[in-house]
Amino acid sequence: MMIMIRSIIRPEKADAVLAALMDAGFPAVTKYSVAGRGKQRGIKIGDVTYDELPKVMLMSVVNAADKDFVIQTIMDTARTKGKGAFGDGKIFVSEVEESYTISSGVQDTAAASGGVPA
Amino acid sequence: MKEVIAIVRINMMNQTKQALTDCGIDAFFAHEAHGRGKGFVNPKILEGAEQGYEEAASLLGEKGKLYPKRLVTAVVEDKQVACVVQTIININQTGMPGDGKIFVLPISDAVRVRTGEMGVKSIS
Repeated sequence: MMIMIRSIIRPEKADAVLAALMDAGFPAVTKYSVAGRGKQRGIKIGDVTYDELPKVMLMSVVNAADKDFVIQTIMDTARTKGKGAFGDGKIFVSEVEESYTISSGVQDTAAASGGVPA
Repeated sequence: MKEVIAIVRINMMNQTKQALTDCGIDAFFAHEAHGRGKGFVNPKILEGAEQGYEEAASLLGEKGKLYPKRLVTAVVEDKQVACVVQTIININQTGMPGDGKIFVLPISDAVRVRTGEMGVKSIS
């Protein structure tokens, strides 16, 4: 079975996370920009509240067996040095029922993403 | 209901939209995205390196570059999934790396905000 890992991280951490995933052997990833707020309701600076903070969403689909390793890799890289800070982001995991590679037109098995290309 | 997420080449958006319409999917959501796959070598760079261009040769070892893509998301009924997947593959397939991916995810419920309809009714 495959799972989709969507992580919302700080834009300045995106390059580091992408490099870490590449080194860990999970090169396949899609990145897009999003804006959002968390349970701290944004940031209040003086009288101004910023509640649409720019973030980056990374989406990758991996084998369910690699779930913990990939999550740990993303988390360790995206966390602010030390104890972490509000705004470091979230990671969501959801099931993927089917996955297809368009160039070959075949349905992927569990080895769809990550690992060494055949 | 299923959520079909397709990542396609940016120049294939028009054909992909047409393909979805042919399948009877009128509603979808698109997003600009950047992505990379398993890290195959770009065939054009390989060709250039073979012809002795130094720039191309220096790019050969470059991995992890993100390429611009379009991310298309459609929530469809269970019975439409096969048609949508097959049509997107047929339209987008060139056989080269970088054609994209299609993922099918389960959706537990959907709501049409205008009327408050739930479930399959909200997407048909």
